[in-house]
Amino acid sequence: MSNVLVEARGLGKAYPKVHRSSDRLRALGRLLFTGTDGDRISVLRDVDLHIRRGESLALIGENGAGKSTLLKLITGVLTPSAGHVKVHGEIGALLELGAGFHPEYSGRDNVVMSAALHGLSGAELQQRLPEIIAFADIGDYIDEPVKHYSSGMVVRLGFAVIAALKPDLLVTDEVLAVGDESFQKKCVQWMKDYLDGGGTLILVSHSMYHVQKLCRHACWLQGGAIAMSGDVFEVSQAYLAYHERKSAPTRESQAARGSLEFSVLDVSLNGMPGESPLMLDSGATLQVRARIYSRDGRVPCLAIGIARSDGTPVYGVSTDMDDCAPQRSADNEYASELEFSDLALLPGSYTVRVHPLDSEGVRVFDTVERGLIVRGASREFGLVRLAHRWKQDDSGSGVA
Amino acid sequence: MSVAALTLRFVQRELRNRFAGSFSGGLWALFQPLLQLAVTSFVFVHVFNARVPGSAGVGYVPFLALALWPWVAFAEAVLRSTTAIQDNAALIGKVALPREVLVLASVGTSFAIHITGFLAIVMVLALTGEGIHLGGVLPALLLYFPLAALALGIALICASIQVFVRDLVQALGQLLPLLMFGAPVYYDRMQLPERFRAWLDLNPFTFYAESFRALLLDYGTIDVRQLGIAVLVAVVALLIGHWLFRRLDPHFEDFL
Repeated sequence: MSNVLVEARGLGKAYPKVHRSSDRLRALGRLLFTGTDGDRISVLRDVDLHIRRGESLALIGENGAGKSTLLKLITGVLTPSAGHVKVHGEIGALLELGAGFHPEYSGRDNVVMSAALHGLSGAELQQRLPEIIAFADIGDYIDEPVKHYSSGMVVRLGFAVIAALKPDLLVTDEVLAVGDESFQKKCVQWMKDYLDGGGTLILVSHSMYHVQKLCRHACWLQGGAIAMSGDVFEVSQAYLAYHERKSAPTRESQAARGSLEFSVLDVSLNGMPGESPLMLDSGATLQVRARIYSRDGRVPCLAIGIARSDGTPVYGVSTDMDDCAPQRSADNEYASELEFSDLALLPGSYTVRVHPLDSEGVRVFDTVERGLIVRGASREFGLVRLAHRWKQDDSGSGVA
Repeated sequence: MSVAALTLRFVQRELRNRFAGSFSGGLWALFQPLLQLAVTSFVFVHVFNARVPGSAGVGYVPFLALALWPWVAFAEAVLRSTTAIQDNAALIGKVALPREVLVLASVGTSFAIHITGFLAIVMVLALTGEGIHLGGVLPALLLYFPLAALALGIALICASIQVFVRDLVQALGQLLPLLMFGAPVYYDRMQLPERFRAWLDLNPFTFYAESFRALLLDYGTIDVRQLGIAVLVAVVALLIGHWLFRRLDPHFEDFL
């Protein structure tokens, strides 16, 4: 048997546009007679996914990025409108708060129904019912109608059912968020044990803490397509960086740049020109090279700085501070290169800013930004790693 | 878990749904048809003075009851299961399950309730000396199979179309009484003017109304050719229903 548990190729989902009831009738006619159904809004497209047994994948992305849709396609609640998905095993899915619970019935009745829906037979259920009720740990509420439950209790019950099923693939959609601290811990612990026991997990969460704690891989969905996928630290950092950039103020229009006295022609990071951000490992060397256009042929000053992607400055320096000047490379053109060896930036996303200044180093004329992503799995806090040393008193503790 | 076991769970749930909150619970299923029978017999026998034509030995109450109860089972099964998919939209959007189970359970529940009522009424009629032919009870129960299959076939069609066209259930509420009055439920074929009698055979329920009476009241006979046609119609309805449901099933979520 193959080791691939979930296999999706070219997966896409589009919803029909239904505004008036006549659209419904038309859609029905089309479905029956031609097999297609007209105007659609695409919410997910071209997703390829391979999840092997024992893997743990986090799906991250903004609201409306298609995470839940992807989960629903994997679990078979939705039918894909393009591509296909195959799951070679049993799925335990907790798609939404109180999935499949009937508000009028008691928790116990709902557990029975929910277990039946997940394919548990009556005898097996009788055997596991005490275990489920113990895991949910909601006391006498188990015999109260679910409509009287708090949302946390609903999740407890839902998770307890899934935990008892021990499925091949566990799919949860942002349900941990409503549980209280101790239940979250219990769930996280259970999922860790489940993963250690060879289980496979697909988790949707906005909590990067849970994502990094539980998953080894991550997939970042944006606008219905995979924006990035790979190691959980890399992807989650890039995702957080994206959010920091989004909340940072947008830089002003550069319409009038050509007429400036000094302007930036191009910036290359580690020899890489263009617009895309540079990926760098923590502690690597960063070279920033900039070419400046000087309208009147005068020698400019050049300032280069690094800021976190939300705009917080980390470090900045200019040529005149260090008593050097850009080299003349052509008519009206100057170039300069700055090297940071052993970059102390902590993993995260940063912006490299390049500004030409007038010859006196007073007026700033232009700003060009390039993205910089520092990779790594460090758990230190802040922006940079400061040189440090823990002082240990050998006589005080027994540890040498 | 098999479809059958899951269906059974849904039937249990729906039974509880219908009788939840009532004092007598399941007893209501027996009490209700008896009460209904008492009211109808009072109105038809004592107010309208209805009589069964031709035969002196057959009272109007058993004549009506034996055709009306299968009809109620059929009509309720179709009407209730038409919204089976729509009503369970929340479930369908969150849990992967074979959706025909919802329709099957809804049809099954209606028939379970009304077959129980039917048996209760047959017993009461037999005890009150209405000349019930008890040997016909078992064949009558067998006759419910093609009737339920027909109801399921129609229900599958209606439930899947209802997802797209929400007016269907309203239209059905109007159409079903027409179908009832177009079958010999309240009257006998012989009471119709001659030129209309043959039209009755176009109504799929005509066969059932007449056959239940033939089996339990010895009123009329069961035509084997008609039985064959009825079974065929039920099978065809089931096949069409199944095909249509399968075809539209992948798109339910988009329109719910």
